[in-house]
Amino acid sequence: MVKVTIDGTELEFAAGTSLFDACRTARGEALPHFCYHPDLSVAGVCRLCQVEVEGMPKLTIACNTTVREGMVVHTRSEKVRRAAQQILEMHLINHPVDCPICDQAGECGLQDQYMTYGLYESEVGKSDKVHKAKVQVIGPRVVLDKERCVLCSRCVRFCDEVTRTGELGIFNRGDRAEIGVAPGRQLDNAYSLNTVDICPVGALTSLDFRFKKRVWLLRSTPSLCHGCATGCSVRVDHEAGTVYRLKPRRNPAVNGAWMCDEGRDTYRELHADTRLREPLLRRDGALRPATWPEAWATLAAAAGPAAPLGFAVVSPRQSLEEIALFAHLAAVLGAPAAGVSGGAREADRGEGDDLLRSADRAPNRAALAWLGLDEPAGADLAARVRAARGAVLVYGADPAADAPGWREAVAGRTVIHLGTHRNATAESADIVIPLGAWAEKDGLLVNRQGRVQASRRAIARPGLAQEDWRFLADWLAAAGATEFPASLPDLRRWVAGRVPALAGVDLNALPPEGLVPGAVAAGAGGER
Amino acid sequence: MNQDQYRILSKRFGRRDGHKLAAYEADGGYRALKRAVGELGAPAVREEVKASGLRGRGGAGFPAGVKWGFVPPGAETVYFMVNADESEPGTFKDRYLLDYDPHAVIEGSAISSFAVGAKLCVIYIRGEFGWLVDRVQKAVDEAYAAGYLGRGAFGGAYELEMIVHKGAGAYICGEETGLINSVTGLKGQPSIKPPFPAVSGFLGQPTIVNNVETVAAVPWILEHGAAAYRKFGTEKSPGTKLFSVSGPVRRPGVHEIPLGLPFREFFTDWLGGMADGEELKAVIMGGSSVPVLTAAEAMETALDYESLAAAGTMLGSGGMIIIPQRCDMVELIQVLMHFYWDESCGQCTPCREGTGWLHKIVKRLRRGEGAPEDLALLERVCDGMAGLTICPLADAAVMPMRSFLQRFRPEFEALAAGRRATEPDSRWAREIRS
Repeated sequence: MVKVTIDGTELEFAAGTSLFDACRTARGEALPHFCYHPDLSVAGVCRLCQVEVEGMPKLTIACNTTVREGMVVHTRSEKVRRAAQQILEMHLINHPVDCPICDQAGECGLQDQYMTYGLYESEVGKSDKVHKAKVQVIGPRVVLDKERCVLCSRCVRFCDEVTRTGELGIFNRGDRAEIGVAPGRQLDNAYSLNTVDICPVGALTSLDFRFKKRVWLLRSTPSLCHGCATGCSVRVDHEAGTVYRLKPRRNPAVNGAWMCDEGRDTYRELHADTRLREPLLRRDGALRPATWPEAWATLAAAAGPAAPLGFAVVSPRQSLEEIALFAHLAAVLGAPAAGVSGGAREADRGEGDDLLRSADRAPNRAALAWLGLDEPAGADLAARVRAARGAVLVYGADPAADAPGWREAVAGRTVIHLGTHRNATAESADIVIPLGAWAEKDGLLVNRQGRVQASRRAIARPGLAQEDWRFLADWLAAAGATEFPASLPDLRRWVAGRVPALAGVDLNALPPEGLVPGAVAAGAGGER
Repeated sequence: MNQDQYRILSKRFGRRDGHKLAAYEADGGYRALKRAVGELGAPAVREEVKASGLRGRGGAGFPAGVKWGFVPPGAETVYFMVNADESEPGTFKDRYLLDYDPHAVIEGSAISSFAVGAKLCVIYIRGEFGWLVDRVQKAVDEAYAAGYLGRGAFGGAYELEMIVHKGAGAYICGEETGLINSVTGLKGQPSIKPPFPAVSGFLGQPTIVNNVETVAAVPWILEHGAAAYRKFGTEKSPGTKLFSVSGPVRRPGVHEIPLGLPFREFFTDWLGGMADGEELKAVIMGGSSVPVLTAAEAMETALDYESLAAAGTMLGSGGMIIIPQRCDMVELIQVLMHFYWDESCGQCTPCREGTGWLHKIVKRLRRGEGAPEDLALLERVCDGMAGLTICPLADAAVMPMRSFLQRFRPEFEALAAGRRATEPDSRWAREIRS
């Protein structure tokens, strides 16, 4: 540990700590900056984070300085403030200041820092500005505005260091320097939208999000990407019940500051036309809307004390608590239960890579194993369903779409579908129960590292859709079970008590980065 | 007085055959290299050069022997690079060495490489010096053929590979980390320090970059000893220095002088004073990046690192620009600001944006569209650039800008008050006006 005095306060830091990070700790807020990023190499080009270090003749950039014993640093002196203002002014002299039509407005480093360090009258004539190309579509998802760019090189470093695809570069020099795509290429790697996240200004914007919503209207909810077994920490940005985008939430233990482009698209399924908004019951051969009392009455007749349930399957897309409660319900109703993945959406084995994308597109497969549920492969599933007599209950999955022999196995039997979308299984079911999609409820996922993480409810469920655990608990009560949760925390305590791996873990108080039960130094370990 | 007694670096300048191996060897060439490898060994060579007080001739004036000592002890792979990217306006002394005495550069480079333990030496020559690339390459080929370089040299005792690398035309590649990046094949722009190249440079290995003139002095120092070298110059600025002089003096060109020579003496005896009808107005002592001095200031100073620092300027590269009375200082600074705007690599914001802004304000003044506030604005922009960047290019633009403003303020004030500049008469200014 080394002792460093920052703005008059002596603090201790681990040797090797960047002065930038030390200043963030000491100040409670970061130094002004554009080019520094904790997950990229140091470029040292924006020159905004200059601080005064006693004994050094000139101001020094904090990002490329390591703390030393006895260092005395000033970050709020007049000299530092003046340098920051001057450099900010340099950043702005050739900037078009087209904030009213810029998508970044509201989350723009230039705007934020101008309000803190700027507040001067511009002395640059409009005709003196260097103009560069605008609205360059440089890839399937990203738009470049060259004159808004502050040339911090974060996007270039991301493509060089993280994806190692090297599509971007800075071309030309001096004030003619500009970001560009290497000749004959486009920015089309699987992580391209991270460049938009790390762009501190409006130079790189998302084709998908552009002009959809002013960012200051959005509310953010911490959540998890449900796109694959990696379980990247994300932020769900939403307004008035509509999700507009997913952004990565920094989690060094899982995804660093990144997430894949495919994961970002998953918000769209929340608002698909095929969402189930009300219970559906098959009458006269067709699925027709029903009220909840009608649905409950039909359920009790199909799978209750009078008519034992035949077989129950659950998708590894459901949360840990939901799977546990569902398995318990199946047991109470007298049916064997199994996991089933597959279906159109989660075309189970996708393309993976060694960065974040897992070939396993199911976000919670590890939970099945924890809860003792197996996943019969293809034809085995149909055989087991066929062997069991009685109604078939499907939760969150779509075996009718692609499980071999499924349709034959359930022919002539009552199929109950609990889900979110009108998929093939719902279409062929007799009772369809609308439940919440992932962003509409709280839930825990176990990722490929065995890390339990919390996903939180961001928006309301559509129509008459029910919250999953409440529906399952109600059914348990209706089925005469003696053990059923009264609240979600209650449910989590119950789950922790049933899973040996979770012994001693308080599922209601998980750290933001999640935890790997039983793992030594879990926070630091695990694959990225 | 006999000015030839100071010719250490320039003794073959002007000789038709001086660039050939035979002539160089006839003058005793490559004896120092043989002695370094055969008798002295690397530590002794380092000590001798350190004792000589030889300072880097590229501009910064850092002691060469001390710089060599920054290579971490025990480093396995070390690279040595010779900076021949001579691009500072007003500076053309390295070009004479490469042209008239390439073998002195090669021998000096080989000894220096030996001293720091390098097995590969790169001579980086600016792209505009195309014919010198050929000249030096031929000399390198001769040195290989004569057994001074390459496999089997010195019976295998020291086998140095030497590569002549041609730059692609960027001033900033003369900054040592920019040079290393350029050789690596990256964009020619400086890297952030630390790490310093002596610890982590070319391909992440310790790399020493020295100026052409610095290495060219090394053979003489080994031949004659540090004490003999110190007989020239002053205590803190030992040795001789090439000055490349441009402007309307009687004898412009490259002159080798003992450091510490009073400017007045150099001006009168070496340069022969101003040409007929010309009167001295100002002097840029060490290349366009150093602060300008008025004629009166220049006459009171001497040509060594310390005296020039005391006079408020720098010795720099020794690219001396003699400015006559008829020269419009605002026009001249416009030429210089154009240069730095054009050559800024664009990495660091204060330099990328500041050089262009300075250039625009000066152009605006000369168009007669300036305002009195513009002079304060120029100073403010300079304040926002100086000392705030990775490399000294921003300072290199600020130093002339500030000194021109400070020492020739009335010329700026006249323009700021609305007078339109007289039509630019120089070829440069005509080109720049567009």
